[in-house]
Amino acid sequence: MATILIIGTALLGLYMAWNIGANDVANSMADAVGSKSLSVRQAVIAAGLCNFAGAVLVGGHVTDTVRKGIVNPCTIAGSLNVSEAEAAAVVAIGMAAALLSAGIWLNFSSLLGMPVSTTHAIVGGVAGFGIVAGGWSVVNWGKMGQIVASWFISPVAGCVCAFIVFKLLGRFVLWRKQPVRAARYGVPVIVFFVTAVVTLATLYKGLKHVAGESVLFTGLGASLTSLGLGALLALGSAVLVRRYLRGKDSRPVGEQLGIVERAFAPVVAATSCTVAFAHGANDVANSVGPLAAVVHMLQAGTVIMKVAVPFWVLALGGAGIVIGLATYGYRVMYTVGRRITQLTPSRGVAADIAGTLVILICCRLKLPVSTTHTLVGAIFGVGLARGLGAVNKGVMRNIFGSWIITVPAAAVLSILLFLAGRWILLDLFTQAVRSSAGTFQP
Amino acid sequence: MGLIQEMFGQSPFGPLFEHTKKVHECVKQIRPLMEALVNEDFDEIHRLQDTVSKLEYEADEFKHEIREQLPRRYFLPVDRAELDRFLKSQDRIADAVEDFAVILLIRETRIHPDLREDFSTFVDQVLRVSTTLMKAAEEMLNLAESAFGGAQAESVLSLVSGLGEEEWKADRMQREISKKMYKLEKDLDPMTLLFYEKILRSLSGVANHAENTGDILRTMIVKG
Repeated sequence: MATILIIGTALLGLYMAWNIGANDVANSMADAVGSKSLSVRQAVIAAGLCNFAGAVLVGGHVTDTVRKGIVNPCTIAGSLNVSEAEAAAVVAIGMAAALLSAGIWLNFSSLLGMPVSTTHAIVGGVAGFGIVAGGWSVVNWGKMGQIVASWFISPVAGCVCAFIVFKLLGRFVLWRKQPVRAARYGVPVIVFFVTAVVTLATLYKGLKHVAGESVLFTGLGASLTSLGLGALLALGSAVLVRRYLRGKDSRPVGEQLGIVERAFAPVVAATSCTVAFAHGANDVANSVGPLAAVVHMLQAGTVIMKVAVPFWVLALGGAGIVIGLATYGYRVMYTVGRRITQLTPSRGVAADIAGTLVILICCRLKLPVSTTHTLVGAIFGVGLARGLGAVNKGVMRNIFGSWIITVPAAAVLSILLFLAGRWILLDLFTQAVRSSAGTFQP
Repeated sequence: MGLIQEMFGQSPFGPLFEHTKKVHECVKQIRPLMEALVNEDFDEIHRLQDTVSKLEYEADEFKHEIREQLPRRYFLPVDRAELDRFLKSQDRIADAVEDFAVILLIRETRIHPDLREDFSTFVDQVLRVSTTLMKAAEEMLNLAESAFGGAQAESVLSLVSGLGEEEWKADRMQREISKKMYKLEKDLDPMTLLFYEKILRSLSGVANHAENTGDILRTMIVKG
């Protein structure tokens, strides 16, 4: 019985994941595809791999927040005077309702061409049912406050970061009298930095749920591994770049700039992959966060969640994203590549680094953010640094719209679905919980 | 989720350079026009004036297109007002060339033999001013690529200073011709003198507007 309910919720989660893969992932590769550094097919494959990797390796943190950070099941159990089993059932129903409402709202907005962030939808949905299930105090308003703040801060941080990175790129490569010579040093430095940061963000405090306890992956070992890997890749890139740029020092400056841009093409391909990685880490939670809660409720029968998010849940979300990407995302990626013609690799690198940094930091802080909004902020930062010919400020309106519309809408929908679900399915769920209580093997 | 796609508008710098090229094509007509005037080939002047008119019209079309592609909601790496002024100033160059062509057209003015060489040299200098502006504007795309900073910007700024110098030389030449022409005033009827004045004024207008355009380009680069 519990299995059936889990499968049902898993299907909902897969549906959300499919949507994310189909619509959202293309944005993470936009810089590589737009600057023609990767073909659409290459981008789809790379995005699939990186999204999946990000989802399973780093996705647990934000997923943890969605499953128990916004609405803590313990608090619900405490505030309703019911048995633990029934409380667990209520939470399971609510999470499923939140998932369903997010999926419905996503489709609805896409049909109407309205702005929508999957993150906003899920968070709104979860908070929504929580308020109705156990009253206002059930929602962890401290965490909610942090999350909402991160929604404002992440695009701004992306903007500032990209601005700084692009200015640095300018100062050390683009503005030089000899851009080609400068690029020989610039490219390896960038590769080092990006590799080290992404590796560290992944390894910090270990990959226990994947790789077990290993000195390589914890504490100081993690830092050293990151720096080491960064140095290794930087050296490799230095060799390749030198080979590519050999003999090009004497060309006129204008031509040199063009050559440097082409040298940056593999770099932006790599940084877009890191954005896809970060995207997977952040967005997988939107599809399987509630699922993780439901799984726990129905399998463990208790509201106390101390275990980490199960690997298979993250893998399921990752797989859903990849399937969505492969089936529908190809077309979206193609459109993105066709419509963005202004972006050159150097600009893409700056925006990607900023996006990856901000998203991964938020992931480690367990804060779910909108990856698209962060990227928008980053691209805007490059524009502010005078790197782009014309940037559409009107896009801001879409972002504000998502803040104002999506969260309440998803919350309301989730509440309605939750009330309906509780009325119809409470006994069913409670039974399922009771029958598995005590059989849980962490 | 087309947010990222919607962010990018068309960069105006390619079209801006196209406008400069078109205007320069227009300016290049001043030499054949002056030659035709010296050779008293008034049919040729008629034909050339047609060409200038067409080129000036085409430049106008570019101008309108550029303006249409830059609605307010687009944020630019240069000051929008300066970009507009650049466009307008460049437009005035073409207008001055058209003025020159029309002046030659409406009256069959004969150039005094003593002044022929001076007028030719003056035309060459004015053309030189416009060519220098072209060189600076040519760098527009490289400027955009280097985000208006660094070595690229510096080389354009130095070209623009060179432009100021060339325009100053043109001004000086104009004064010399005027002095010479008034020394010959007994040999020339008042209408002819008037037309010499108009010719000089329109030609120096071309040089002046070119220099102004260069100045605005400098502001665009520096102010951002």
